[in-house]
Order: sequence, then structure tokens, then C-alpha cells
Amino acid sequence: MTRHHPDSLSLMEYSAGNLTEPHALCIRLHLEQCPHCRSRVDTLNSLGAVMMEQQPKVTVSDSSFEQLMARIDSAPQDTSPVVQAPRLSPLQKLLGQDINELPWKRQLGDVSVLDISEKFPGQGERVVLQKLVAGGKAPAHTHRGDETTIVLQGAFADQKGVFNQWDFVVLNEQDEHRPVAVGCEDCITLSVLSAPVKLTGTFTRMLNPFIR
Amino acid sequence: MTTLDQQPAKAEGRKDPWGVLLEKVGKHQDRAAYHALFEHFAPQIKYYAISNGMASHAEELVQEVFISIWRRSCLYDWRKAAASTWIFTIARNQRIDMLRKMQRTSAEMAVETEDLWQIPGDNEDEPVTSLHRLMSERRIRESLSQLPEEQITVIAKVYMEHKSHQMVADELQIPLGTVKSRVRLALNKLKVILQDQNV
Repeated sequence: MTRHHPDSLSLMEYSAGNLTEPHALCIRLHLEQCPHCRSRVDTLNSLGAVMMEQQPKVTVSDSSFEQLMARIDSAPQDTSPVVQAPRLSPLQKLLGQDINELPWKRQLGDVSVLDISEKFPGQGERVVLQKLVAGGKAPAHTHRGDETTIVLQGAFADQKGVFNQWDFVVLNEQDEHRPVAVGCEDCITLSVLSAPVKLTGTFTRMLNPFIR
Repeated sequence: MTTLDQQPAKAEGRKDPWGVLLEKVGKHQDRAAYHALFEHFAPQIKYYAISNGMASHAEELVQEVFISIWRRSCLYDWRKAAASTWIFTIARNQRIDMLRKMQRTSAEMAVETEDLWQIPGDNEDEPVTSLHRLMSERRIRESLSQLPEEQITVIAKVYMEHKSHQMVADELQIPLGTVKSRVRLALNKLKVILQDQNV
């Protein structure tokens, strides 16, 4: 059971569809395993529906519905009912292979890393998988900007506590820590690092070119 | 979950007229039901598109959302989400999808939008829901009517205009901390904050 959850504000940004893809992935992976947070997101999605309902309405063009029906009639293949695909975790889809078999790059001592940022082009964030061998220690370090991490396998401990599989944690500049992989498995985490300030500018939403 | 959970949910869930229409579309491709859903939700979705800065693509977003509703209504499960909640998540995802496609020259996306933002009911393994979820829209309407305007304004900007908390703070010229505390107060009232541990 996970014990470290995303805060409500992050879940709200997720529900509103405002997060970058890598951040959404971290939340999504946590939600898969956390009924408690799924229920919170259900409520937030309903909040979104109610917000939408309480806003002004804008009349759609007269031909809009006819266009829709014409499209359904003329392209039945593209508009046929979706078939429930076999369930595959977003992580499996993303990595395409077992997480332990990835081409890990040994870094410092007990730590290996794999940068998967290129899977999220245009997001302006660094997305890295990190592996700490069972019982291993990472060198003490601080963080540049916010770093969102989710534990994918095993567990690590630092002075703030123990973080188990599917736990969610956000660290920033103030958090100097020296994680140790606890338990008998290698600890694997997925981290999203905010881009350098000059890339994100004044909170430019990478996803949204339309923000005024 | 337990049958105890399902019984009251059934009574409550069946009262949602939009859910009944969605089921008709899903099961029988019922065009009259589809038209009724369109009449009700299309103007909301169009406003949604305009308020988040997609005015020139608003009609297009409405079309994409309704094609998606047509195609996915067979997966709609009233026990997992109220119809308007389900439609909200589809509108949100179609918006994200449209923006992603506009930004990518390569059609290839490593992860699809729906892998990142799930539509309620898509996950078969998910246990059938409790009364709590189905009641939530009604509860939210009741709670919202009691919230101060300043809290609703902030929430509307996050959901409708897709502004981050920082952007809302900049726009309203109030500190980020004030924006966050307004949101927290509101979410507390809506009982989203049950046991936040890392706040």
C-alpha cells in the first residue's frame, strides 16, 4: 500500500488536464495502484464537469450536428465503436520491455540511470529512470528546481522516511538527501526534473501554445 | 465492491438522464439520444474550448469530442462515473490530444493521451464504484454554492482556462500562496483533501 500521495493541488492540475505529459505519467502510475487517490480524482473530474456546466453556453453552428452525422455515415471505420484493448500499463507501453533489462548506464557507485526525455518531445523536462542497487547508497545531493519522483520497484529510505513502490514524492532545492535502497530488490524510480528556468520562462505551459 | 455499495448507487445512478441517453447510444447507436446529448453538451464544450484559448478550433473540438462520445459510449458504465463527468474527461482528453497533434510533426507518440489521462470506466480491473462517486456531482453542486466567489474564480481558471496556480496568481495579482490556500479551502469543502500527507 502506498503511503506517500500526490497533494490535492497536483491532482487538481491533473484532473484539469494542465500537467505536462511526464508529470501526468507520474500521477497516472500512482493512480493505477492507489484507490484512495483514484477516488479523489473521480471527485475532481466531477468538479470539472460541474464547472463546465456552470459556465456560459455558446451556440454551436446550425450545421454542426449534421456534419457529425455525415462523418459517422461516410467513414464508418473511423467512427466505429472502440474495442477495449488488452490492458497494458502505460509504463510497459512506454518502455516496451522489462524495466530491469533496460540499457542502464552505470553512473556513480551504486546508481544507474537512463534518460528517457526523448519519449516526451516538446515537454521541456528531463525524464529519467534511476536505479539504486539493493542495499546501495546514492551520494548526498540536492535538487535543482522541483523533482517529482515515483517509485516503480523496490523502496528507498532517506531522512524523511521510507518510500515504497508507487509512492509519490516531490523534492526541491531545500531537500538534501542521501537515499538508500532498502529491501532485497533494486530500487527503481522515475523522476521528472523541471527544466532550467530559462526554458520554462514565466510558467509557459509547454503543452499549450494558445495560452495568452 | 460489495452489493451493499451497489444498491443505493443503482437507485441514484439511474436518475441521471444523460447516463441513460449515453447507454442508448452505446447499445443501439440511438441517434435521437445522441442528438439530445449534443444539444445539451455541445454548447458547454464550445465554451470550454473558447475559454481555454482555442476559439478558432472550438467547433472542431466539439466535433472531435462527439465523435469520441459516439465511439466510446459502448464503454460507458454509469456505475463508474456520472455522464457529465465522463463527458468532461473526454472533452479534456480531446483538447490535450488536439494540442499534442498540432505540436508534433511526427505522428508517432510514445504514449497516447488516454494512457496518461484515463477515461473513467476504461479500466476493466477497476472495482465497480461506490455510492460516493455517483453522489459526488450533486454534493459538489451543493458545496460550490456555499463557497466564496474568490475560491470559485480560482477553480474556474484552473479548469476552464487551463491556468496553473502561478498563472492565476499573476493574473489576479495575488501571491501564489493565496491562490493555493483558496484552492485548498475549496477542496477541503469538497472533501478532496482527506489525508494529504505531503502538503
